[in-house]
Amino acid sequence: MLREILRRPEAWIGGGLLLILLLVAACAPLLAPGDPLAIVGRPLIRPFANADFPLGTDRLGRDLLAGLIHGARASAAVGLAAAAVAMLLGATVGSAAGFAGGWIDEAMMRVVEAFQIVPGFLLALAFVSALGPSLWTVVLAIALGAWTGPARLVRSRVLSLREADFVAAARVMGMRSGEIALRLVMPLALPPVLAISATIVAGAVLTEAALSFLGLGDPNAVTWGRMIAEGRNQLRSAAYLSMIPGAALALTVVAVYLLGEAVTEVLARKRRA
Amino acid sequence: MRPLAGFLLRRLIGGVPALLIVAVGVFLLLDRAGGDAVDAWLVSIGGGDARMAAALRAEYGLDQSVFSRLTFMLGRLVQGDFGWSFALNRPIGPAIMERLPNTLQLMGAATGISFLIGSALGLIAGRRPGSWTDRLLSGGSLLLYSVPSFWLGLALSVIFAVRLRWFPVSGIETIASGKTGLDRAADVAWHLVLPVAALGMIYLALFLRVMRSGMVEAWGQDYALAARARGVPDRRVALNHAARNALVPLVTMLGLQAGAMLGGSVVIESVFGIPGFGRLAQEAVAGRDAPLLLAVVLVSALMVTLANILTDLAYGALDPRVGSGGRDAA
Amino acid sequence: MSFLISRRGLIGVAAGLLASTALPRLALAAGGRLVVAADSEPRQLNPAIVASNGVFFIASKIVEPLAEASFEAGGLRPLLATSWEGSEDGLAVTFRLREGVLWHDGKPFTSADVAFSALEVWKPLQNIGRSLFANLEDVETPDDQTAVFRFSKPTPLQLVANALPVVSAVLPKHVYEGTEIAANPANAALIGTGPFVWGEHKPGEYYLLRRNAAYWAPDQPKIDELVYRVLPDRAAAANSLEAGEIQLAAFSAVPLTDLERVSEVPGLEVVTKGYEALTYQLTVEINHRNAHLKHLKVRQAIAHAIDRKFVLDAIFLGYAAEATGPVPANDPTFYTPEVELYPHDVEKARALLDEAGYPAGADGTRFKLRLLPAPYFNETRQFGDYLRQALAAVGIDAVIVANDSAGHQKAVYTDHEFDLAVAPTVFRADPAISTTILVRSGVPAGTPFSNQGGYENPELDALIDEALITLDSGKRVDLYKRFQKLVTEDLPLINVADWSFTSVASDRLRGLASNPRWAVSNWADLEQEA
Repeated sequence: MLREILRRPEAWIGGGLLLILLLVAACAPLLAPGDPLAIVGRPLIRPFANADFPLGTDRLGRDLLAGLIHGARASAAVGLAAAAVAMLLGATVGSAAGFAGGWIDEAMMRVVEAFQIVPGFLLALAFVSALGPSLWTVVLAIALGAWTGPARLVRSRVLSLREADFVAAARVMGMRSGEIALRLVMPLALPPVLAISATIVAGAVLTEAALSFLGLGDPNAVTWGRMIAEGRNQLRSAAYLSMIPGAALALTVVAVYLLGEAVTEVLARKRRA
Repeated sequence: MRPLAGFLLRRLIGGVPALLIVAVGVFLLLDRAGGDAVDAWLVSIGGGDARMAAALRAEYGLDQSVFSRLTFMLGRLVQGDFGWSFALNRPIGPAIMERLPNTLQLMGAATGISFLIGSALGLIAGRRPGSWTDRLLSGGSLLLYSVPSFWLGLALSVIFAVRLRWFPVSGIETIASGKTGLDRAADVAWHLVLPVAALGMIYLALFLRVMRSGMVEAWGQDYALAARARGVPDRRVALNHAARNALVPLVTMLGLQAGAMLGGSVVIESVFGIPGFGRLAQEAVAGRDAPLLLAVVLVSALMVTLANILTDLAYGALDPRVGSGGRDAA
Repeated sequence: MSFLISRRGLIGVAAGLLASTALPRLALAAGGRLVVAADSEPRQLNPAIVASNGVFFIASKIVEPLAEASFEAGGLRPLLATSWEGSEDGLAVTFRLREGVLWHDGKPFTSADVAFSALEVWKPLQNIGRSLFANLEDVETPDDQTAVFRFSKPTPLQLVANALPVVSAVLPKHVYEGTEIAANPANAALIGTGPFVWGEHKPGEYYLLRRNAAYWAPDQPKIDELVYRVLPDRAAAANSLEAGEIQLAAFSAVPLTDLERVSEVPGLEVVTKGYEALTYQLTVEINHRNAHLKHLKVRQAIAHAIDRKFVLDAIFLGYAAEATGPVPANDPTFYTPEVELYPHDVEKARALLDEAGYPAGADGTRFKLRLLPAPYFNETRQFGDYLRQALAAVGIDAVIVANDSAGHQKAVYTDHEFDLAVAPTVFRADPAISTTILVRSGVPAGTPFSNQGGYENPELDALIDEALITLDSGKRVDLYKRFQKLVTEDLPLINVADWSFTSVASDRLRGLASNPRWAVSNWADLEQEA
């Protein structure tokens, strides 16, 4: 299946871009040593004007390139962590509801419904404002708005798999229900969640940016969203300050979608076959 | 008609527990926040003394326990009364009614336009998958889909409002213009062009993609193959068969996105200075105004629920296999 | 390519048509409508209850104080009061009031209104008046044009006079008497004596004020309609000015970084005057409960670590001055430069920290602090970012804790959950109004913009108390000069910059910045050329 995915050009482009991004994120301390928030030069040096700061400096004289590199790290971390939390929470609740059935299922689905009808961004906004902006509250806030999708997906997969013939057969053969759940049902219930993970990661990166834009980002970390938000005040006089991180953000999201698209397409083709 | 009424009633009543969870959750969340309504107020007036703060807390009932404040507020909500806003210093009901139309106009226009254009372009792209047109449209939509909406809003505002002066920079209508009727509607529409474009572009891209993949899928289905085999022209197959089927996931998506779009309008309202729900929510959080935030969130949740019910109905109409009682459609 | 051009042309034509029909450019005759940017909508708009710049910005055009600040000698211009005089013992101040002034509802303005406002509003309800008028016992009204304020303790006339523009907005007794003043409907539709009459408020959109044809000053005001357009987003004000949708943005609503560009836009001008009596100071508040910050040497090290020139250039882009102490240099009465100065000196800062017993660890760090920048201004947040870096350079690891306004108020001024905080403290023409409270001990927790750092200095407290009852102006000034010296020597807080605001306005406006509190004064003489 991996080979099939890799045969698609979207996967090549998206995967390649993401690989570069992750490499940059992983090697950030090597590529741009020191605190990316340190004031290292004259304020507002334009890009390509000074070899020491290839992308220029911001309002306080912080290196834009260092910010971009460390921002990749923080943005990727926030996106991945939020998606991981959302999927873990969703899969847990969804499978629990699906297996338990009855009133437990009903009650859990009410909670899911509650989270689904509140606009996720509104919830995130209230959550971060109330608990104070830090990377962790931002991650949790994003996850709170994104976990219901996986929960519903897993639940419906579990519900249909529970009634599948091979599960009934296993039950007849005396397999314990815990074992059925873990060994037979879950491995088949989870892949569709992984397929939508790309959308969740991309959404998380965008939500982080939007929260930072409203001034709700971690003040001790550089993220692309924060760079865009800070550059916004200079939008008319030094557009590059928000243009460059904005482009990086959009490129990342495109890459995630491209890869996700390739995976979805291949999965769909497999299902059809 | 009777089953429909029953369905609507069931759905609305079924939503009550969820709304209750939302209400309690939001209340407790804001209660956890540092500072209360009096702190927010003291800051906004640039000082005051501790006695004044204590007196205000007693007046607002903030000196009582979380539980008694919560039950008081819920009791009031049951009677259909949103209560009094600390932050706005006026009753909440009218404030909601003032802001809601602005957000609904923004969202409605963005949804309608992005749905129409998105599905039309998706239809075109999906008619010949892999063609030059398809590649262009798919690629373009992917790019649009990846640009943060606030960023798009800023760009649009600088280019079209400040540089070219084709559209106003901000606001929902010309202030204190005294316009009424059609004049006023035109004025509002003109103010909404840029925000709707900024908010709707992403959804346009989304609808385009969903429609396109629905079309691609539909082409492979038996009936489409059969129709083509019978010699029915492609154009007719596309419109009569494939498009109808491709609309089903699109409508589902529409319901799913109602909440996201409401959330997205928060940022767009901030960029374009539209006094809508998003700004009201921000004011409520900043003012630690639990009753106001609760009202905003509950009304939003109600609107999302309504949107879901509507899409369920549309879904039922499009796909005869799904009865209007289908719950899993949402 | 030709396709592109023709399409663009078409859009242009269509938009042109739209613009010509839907938005008549505000072609104004003399008088006319003036649209001003407002960044917030105060929930209590009554300036007699809430004495704050946000409220005054709108309400001072409707409700007037007894006197307004002035560039003239003496610093005050009579408004509702024509003269004031203190008694020898400092226990009485006599105001002569203006004759022939009418309230907006047509009733005459008299000394009864002043007595009512002072005793029923300023003293018991007003955020600033509560402490200033704490010793006010009675206001006698021997006739309609005379009000005599009686104090239980000697009260310097200088202080009362300096405070007049801020604390003395007069309300109509006949509207407020016998009602719950804070909840009176007139608070949302103000009734005053000012040059403009309340029109309407559309929440989230605008306030509309109209010309008061019966204003007491002849030929004023010169503007027919004054509209405050609510624009909470900071980028919106500059854009709206450039697009011609508004004619004035005060209180630095246009971000500093945009000023240079905006100043070159034809038809707009940048005005830096008119805020002389509204000087803010960028101040580092210190929690003296912290074991490290208790050491004077540590506080001195922090003061030396700050590069004030960088702060002025990079954060304020030159629109500020170095602060030497708790009184801004542009104050004509109280300021003294003879204080302890802390020039930027990283080596000295490091040495001081070594001496204090905090050697740098293996990673260069000596100790950790929590830094809470006030969220109200871009500049306070940016200075927070800068301070973190400046402290890192001398081995102090500061972690920024971000809060919104309410959270900051609670964390710093109630719970004392901070080590360093960045505050925009305000100097209001007299140190006794809102400056000494920043260092005086014994202020109850929960009082915003006060000494909540646990700093106690009996010598300083005694000096503050003495100045409060010193009647002789010269002696009072000397006491406050000593106050500045003491504060800079012991550093209960660190003053970094004196900063004031800018306005951007249409160059057709005349009478801008005509007094040192211009943005919050009544704008009776403001004029708009056709």
